[in-house]
Amino acid sequence: MDIRFNLINSKLLEISWPKDISPLILEEMMAVKGYLEKEYADGIKEIRMGYHCLSLKLQLDINEKEVSELLEEIESKGLKIDTPSSKLWTIPVCYGGEFGIDLLKLSKFHGLEPEEIIQLHSDPEYLLYFYGFLPGFMYLGGLNERLTTPRKSSPDRSVPAGSVAIGGKQTGIYPCESPGGWHVVGVCPIPLFDIHQDPPVMAKVNDRVKFRSIEKEEYLELKEKSKTGKYQWQHD
Amino acid sequence: MIKLPSYIHFVQPGLMSSVQDLGRFGLAQYGIPYSGAMDRYAVAQVNFILRNPKDAAVLEISGTGPEMVFESETRIVFAGAEPEVLLNGKPINYGQVIDIKPEDHVLVKRIKKGQWAYMGIQGGFESELVAGSRSWYPGITPRTRVRKGDTLCYLSEAERYYPPVETKAKIRSDWFRLSKINVYPGPEWHLLPHLLHNRILNKAFKVSDMIDRMAYQLEENISHELEPILTSPVYPGTVQLTPSGKLIILMRDAQVTGGYPRILQVENASLNVLTQKTPKEKITFTLKK
Repeated sequence: MDIRFNLINSKLLEISWPKDISPLILEEMMAVKGYLEKEYADGIKEIRMGYHCLSLKLQLDINEKEVSELLEEIESKGLKIDTPSSKLWTIPVCYGGEFGIDLLKLSKFHGLEPEEIIQLHSDPEYLLYFYGFLPGFMYLGGLNERLTTPRKSSPDRSVPAGSVAIGGKQTGIYPCESPGGWHVVGVCPIPLFDIHQDPPVMAKVNDRVKFRSIEKEEYLELKEKSKTGKYQWQHD
Repeated sequence: MIKLPSYIHFVQPGLMSSVQDLGRFGLAQYGIPYSGAMDRYAVAQVNFILRNPKDAAVLEISGTGPEMVFESETRIVFAGAEPEVLLNGKPINYGQVIDIKPEDHVLVKRIKKGQWAYMGIQGGFESELVAGSRSWYPGITPRTRVRKGDTLCYLSEAERYYPPVETKAKIRSDWFRLSKINVYPGPEWHLLPHLLHNRILNKAFKVSDMIDRMAYQLEENISHELEPILTSPVYPGTVQLTPSGKLIILMRDAQVTGGYPRILQVENASLNVLTQKTPKEKITFTLKK
């Protein structure tokens, strides 16, 4: 495991991996996170994740010596990377038209038919690395390189909740209405975040997500179903 | 002790008033920020004076303040930024416990010093408790700022069962005039050349007018060649360096991850001081460790 410890102050410690977005790094991060949460539950207030780092907010003070002991401990453990359980969630998306206002622009930009873009976007299984940016916003890895698109030079003032969008090498779903600089290709009719549920999201870090293209009829049907609380998220 | 639910009626909402407590913790893993009062020190003061629990919810006020009518008896106190407050047309003092009677009219005219003023109320506000906190935040709580005609619930106690804390030593607002801000090196600090370390630590930075509950931007430019980072965790107090060389200090409502290099991390006590800075005020960074 190629990891580095960086003590920011006595209550903030960052553990980082080489700068890369990779499923292997995510697996190692999950193993270290799991170990720390098990062994040092009392000492840790919270662990935040990025693509290649864990940030530990500590309950108790820690010093440089203890940090290097902890690093040795983790390295010597040879933490078993049990491939943690990973569910595959299917997210229905109504692409194009009034919901995917940037699909045609994207199609021109890439010289691909809109159907090809939908195909390329709904084909992969995306890996959920972490939540950030907005409550319930999933950082997903696995966008087809042919869909890489520079972000808008000036962000839209308001992107509607549920919008599915592409920005840079990433794709994601806006859980709530927000300003945003990504290109909107479609919308998901079912809310992805509910603060009154515990947990407020359905997918866990390391789960996978796949988009399923739906027609407007099904969009309306699902929207109605989710309003009355009858929709159940689908996973394998 | 008989406590009756009562309401404050907002005749005018003011520019930016919201209910805050100490924040919402343990939910960053779902992308939910801490939120909470900008100046936690001021909240500790008002709740101490009123003998409230530490996490009692207060009203945070910025810019021109609200105009309020109280339904029934309670006690209030102002701390944090120093506002000009009129009770039924008569000025009241900063840090002083005010006895409120039914139909009393409180007008927060403006803020004289600082950025965020706090009105504490006996027992705290009884607004919606969402995921362990009453702090208002878009997408989490039903309300995000006070609007005209809004009401806010509190529990009125007609009779006093204990005296207020007698503060002979007056609360002062001069502590946040400090310009020295203590910082720790952030995760990307060591990627900056030594020359830039010196420049950042020896420079007086001016607070810009781009300041809100999410972040404070500083005016000066630090040109650099740092690459953007992969999206990584950030906290209130994280100082980001943008590609164009601006320093952005993240505040209580900041998102939980960011993609700009994190060059410094502001010490907790200094972050309270920093929140009270107004545009054009100068600050300097002092590196700890």
